[in-house]
Amino acid sequence: MRGDTISGTGYRLGFDVGGTFTDFALVNETTGALRLGKCLTTPDDPSRGVASGLLQLLADTGIGAGELSVAIHATTLITNALIERKGAVTALIATAGFRDTLEMGTEVRYDNYELSLPMPSPLVPRHRRFDISERIDAAGRVLVPLDTEQLRAVARGLAADKVEAVAIVFLHSFINPAHELLAEQILREELPDVQISRSSLIAPEIREFERSSTTAANAYVQPIVRRYLDKAAGILGDSGFTRRMQIMLSSGGVAGADLVKAQPIRMLESGPAAGVLAAIHFSHRLDLPDLITFDMGGTTAKVGLIKDNKARKANLFEFGRVARMTRGSGLPVKVPIIELIEIGAGGGSIATTDKMGLLQVGPASAGSVPGPSCYGLGGELPTVTDANLYLGYLNPEYFLGGQIQLSKAAAIRALSTLGERTGLTAAQVARGMFRIVNQNMMAACKVHVAEQGEDPQKFYLFAFGGAGPIHAWELARQLGMKGVIIPPAAGAGSALGLVVSPVSFDCSRSLPRRLDRLAWPEVQAVLDSMLAETAGVLQAAGLSPDQIASAAISYQMDLRHSGQGRELTVELPADLIASGSLQGIAQAFYAAHQDRFGHAHPDLVPELITCRVSVSTMAINPPTPPAPAIAGSAASPAPKAIRDAYFPEVDAIVTTPVYERAHLSIGMRFSGPAIIEERECTIVVGPSARIEVHPTLSLFVTLT
Amino acid sequence: MTETSALNMIDVQIQWNRLISMMDEADISLLHSAFSTVVSDSRDYAVILLDSQARSIAQAQICVPAFTCSLPAAARTMLQEFPLDTLRPGDVLFTNDPWICHGHLPDFYVIVPIFHHDRVVAFYAGAAHVSDVGGRIDELTARDVYEEGIRIPPVKIYEAGVPNATAFKVLRANTRYPRLVLGDLGALIGAGDVVARRCREFEDDYGTGAIDRIAAEILTRSETAMRDAITALPDGDYPAAIDVDGHKTPTHIALTVKIRGDAITLDYAGSSPQRADASINCVTNVTHAHSMFAIKCLLVRDIPNNEGLFRPLRTEAPVGSILNAQFPAPVRGRSMTSYHLHSAIFEAFAPLLPDGVQAGSGSFWWVSCVGKDSEGDPYVLHVLPNGGVGATYDMDGHSVMAFPGNGTFTPAEIIEHRSPLLVVERSLRADSGGAGRYRGGLGQTIRLRTHGNLSARMTLRPDKLTHPSRGICGGEPGARGEVWLDGEPLALEPFVLQPGEELTLNLPGGGGFGAPDARPQYDIARDIRHGYVSEGAAVDTYGLARRAH
Repeated sequence: MRGDTISGTGYRLGFDVGGTFTDFALVNETTGALRLGKCLTTPDDPSRGVASGLLQLLADTGIGAGELSVAIHATTLITNALIERKGAVTALIATAGFRDTLEMGTEVRYDNYELSLPMPSPLVPRHRRFDISERIDAAGRVLVPLDTEQLRAVARGLAADKVEAVAIVFLHSFINPAHELLAEQILREELPDVQISRSSLIAPEIREFERSSTTAANAYVQPIVRRYLDKAAGILGDSGFTRRMQIMLSSGGVAGADLVKAQPIRMLESGPAAGVLAAIHFSHRLDLPDLITFDMGGTTAKVGLIKDNKARKANLFEFGRVARMTRGSGLPVKVPIIELIEIGAGGGSIATTDKMGLLQVGPASAGSVPGPSCYGLGGELPTVTDANLYLGYLNPEYFLGGQIQLSKAAAIRALSTLGERTGLTAAQVARGMFRIVNQNMMAACKVHVAEQGEDPQKFYLFAFGGAGPIHAWELARQLGMKGVIIPPAAGAGSALGLVVSPVSFDCSRSLPRRLDRLAWPEVQAVLDSMLAETAGVLQAAGLSPDQIASAAISYQMDLRHSGQGRELTVELPADLIASGSLQGIAQAFYAAHQDRFGHAHPDLVPELITCRVSVSTMAINPPTPPAPAIAGSAASPAPKAIRDAYFPEVDAIVTTPVYERAHLSIGMRFSGPAIIEERECTIVVGPSARIEVHPTLSLFVTLT
Repeated sequence: MTETSALNMIDVQIQWNRLISMMDEADISLLHSAFSTVVSDSRDYAVILLDSQARSIAQAQICVPAFTCSLPAAARTMLQEFPLDTLRPGDVLFTNDPWICHGHLPDFYVIVPIFHHDRVVAFYAGAAHVSDVGGRIDELTARDVYEEGIRIPPVKIYEAGVPNATAFKVLRANTRYPRLVLGDLGALIGAGDVVARRCREFEDDYGTGAIDRIAAEILTRSETAMRDAITALPDGDYPAAIDVDGHKTPTHIALTVKIRGDAITLDYAGSSPQRADASINCVTNVTHAHSMFAIKCLLVRDIPNNEGLFRPLRTEAPVGSILNAQFPAPVRGRSMTSYHLHSAIFEAFAPLLPDGVQAGSGSFWWVSCVGKDSEGDPYVLHVLPNGGVGATYDMDGHSVMAFPGNGTFTPAEIIEHRSPLLVVERSLRADSGGAGRYRGGLGQTIRLRTHGNLSARMTLRPDKLTHPSRGICGGEPGARGEVWLDGEPLALEPFVLQPGEELTLNLPGGGGFGAPDARPQYDIARDIRHGYVSEGAAVDTYGLARRAH
């Protein structure tokens, strides 16, 4: 696909600002021809990297910015601002008596035995959190009116303190937002230059801590996101781009910049979401509606599930975990998000021994500084990349296309040092590390897939990211999966997902009520208000009324047995919603509970907690570019080199041919073992594998 | 080291992690399908894997640690009654006998043999604190265990997959909230399905007997690690004695930690005798379990929990003492005693391991509320708010966090949605953290009213009203807890919260670590800026004014 001539009328541009690289994808809407670009991210001002990379790409392709029909953007800016605590000076306005909700959290320790337990500090410190007299009850009735004079006095204090953003969180505002709306209006009058986030817009769901945390995080990043997006739009405009910039959301849809300026927290995990969208794109192309996605980079691996060409969504995400990857050690945000589990396993994961002399790999990571020992940048601890180099998977001369020269001697030194402590040779350490890191990912993958009632054996593993294609074969083989799919440019990040992403939006409202105490018109009113909000978002993203009318709507409700502690999110077909049958909803809940947990209690009335609506246009499916002809009858590629590599499936070192991916053409079939190199990643397949080059240039790897 | 044993070491690691992730999967299943807030919010449950000899080898990472010792012991007792060779697939053993299980009737234990190729390869052991087992309404004043509710001896609650109709009928008839209780029991048993499936896969992947083989490795390696940690400590007798609130009269906990080579005996001789007028007695299972939790925190906090860790440790308490209560002593509120054992243990170890201990913590209180809602339907609500955690050698204690238990506080919006209670305030309680080089965590203030004209029957079980969380290594104690009704101190009998009345709970703060005058100025200044410490208290406890001039 790379190197094809791009010609035609309209182009879609995607650009993803990642931690290390900024990736670009440019696709011709008529021919489907694709060009990728890559440049280093400029962390001090990411828009600089965007500008230079974009100009380079346009110059290389001879395309004018005026020919772009759309530009879609993803960025780690928000994640970084939250983790590095570089957000705005933020204040919180709370119901009197509840300003500490944000700090008290759930009261749970995420580790039972650690007595000096690090916890994330709240985004808004106590001296900038304010109690305001007002109260609404659980039914939405006003018990105490909002004290507007008190609020104005607080606002004047905030102005004096140079506060840049304010979060408003009142109890039960998801049922009745009147006080939050009034407070927002007053704050806008008093503080015209300050960004305001109110919880009834940002996360209108029951449970005050999660709602406070989400609204505070939104406020905290809002000013920097606004500044950044204005700047990025300016750069695009300067280059001659005349259309609207769109933004990738964590939920896997895109929306207009105005929405993201109001609700920036929705783009928190836009990069990983784009990666999954790329996988969905291929799930259509390959006619494989079900895939498990596997994205492994420098510090973490992410696993997700695609079912019927759709990614599963979650409604809660935790950012900034202070104990690496440990659930509960971060701060929660309630946002619609593509569900991915994150494992502390990446190329930089460090191996150590524990108190029992057992080998542990990760979650500590050498990151990019000092990086793995073999980078020769001062790292001395053995990492997964060192093991992979030792085991023969990586080519020391061709890492990132030769940008970094890897030192095998340094890798051996690091592995041997650990080996001396454990009575193992460097080879045993390297093999053990490879197995253990794979096991850690397998365990997480199994739990994640099982949580969704699925079995990995029914899926192909769709692998990408810098380290994903090295480990994918072994993972899939041990999980007994159907095989591995490596898309073209697997190491090049998520930019491809951006240009194929649909416009979509997800919306939620809590309506906590037993079904037997609920009348359908109340539900319909909530659904209607969400649909109106969604239509507004789609319109702002530039869709025509026809496109909005034809968008697909899906409904979910969070329900539980009356009295139960947790709710279950249940998919509800549109015709069930259209029928307005609460009885039908009850039946759907019992069936889902039975399916998920093996028991249901039809004698107990279900209780509705939260309604959810998701509206999506069709995914963009650029046509497949014409396949290059198969070179003669040569169905097998010629290796460019031979290398010794270790394979656990035979527990031996095997002489392995090395291929250049760019030289593989459609229809080629060959057997493992094989190492296939491309600029940004290396693909490793074992002796028992068959490899086939699909017309999309994806590699299909299956067990013989 | 030979190639074989080298590979073993890596296999051990891989298989061990896999067992833990199996139990995490079961934990998620139970958490999401449970009914009561005691299970789903307060997380008062555990799921544990036992090998074929009923030794605990792995448990979910977040579940209640204390159950890890008592569950296998209970399993072995039940197996005496139902020998291994008489068990069939689909059998589920059940009991709530406090002397077999975990020291009070609401803890339900189930033991499920896991069969593969016609032999038992492992056991799933699950424990959960259910909402009600009948008995007296109040928590602390029973005179014997018969007053505390229904006690079911070991029975097969499922026999070859068929529910024991009689047992279920009896249970249903003896609890005030059969839906919650039977719902939680169903979820507890259901979580075992996941474990059984995963165990069979494990045996298929690693060969027949694989679970027992990895069990031997886990137990031996863990035991060795614990013995190594103990050996590093100097031999000797290390005493500690503390007084805690008890009920009406205080409880004395006396402890001597006897370190001998690679073993430790915890001897509670000199502790208060068992009570015949207060449900605060501990059976030995409970005394041992809570002691082991504290020792693990001290010595091997990062090794996954399993029985091997505790082989080098013994717990002794005189027969008939409050820490070795004899049948039929009342035991329901045993945590009024057992939740303080770690404090005595940490104080005994403070001279040996100052960087390993923690000051006393303010957790937890028990608040329950029952009645009829505005539609006339009955409801029941249990919430377990926490106070502040004790400080350590390198960290201020966390404010408002569970310790040594581990549960979440039910959100105010859920409380108000489910009950006629109105939460008027839930905030950090200034000046409640014990002063020290590191300050104890703050407790919280919770103010409750009822909605409209409704009333609510409340039962409270506060703690640390008379004996605060203790400071350690020179730190000061945290603030005592307080309970007020409309500005008057409240007697702790069950009572009805009437319309217009306001109940105030001031939960205790955690103790401080190290001398207060060693606390840096900037930490004190930050505490004042955040309102964690008032200026007046800063002057009184830290001598701020004196040093500032």
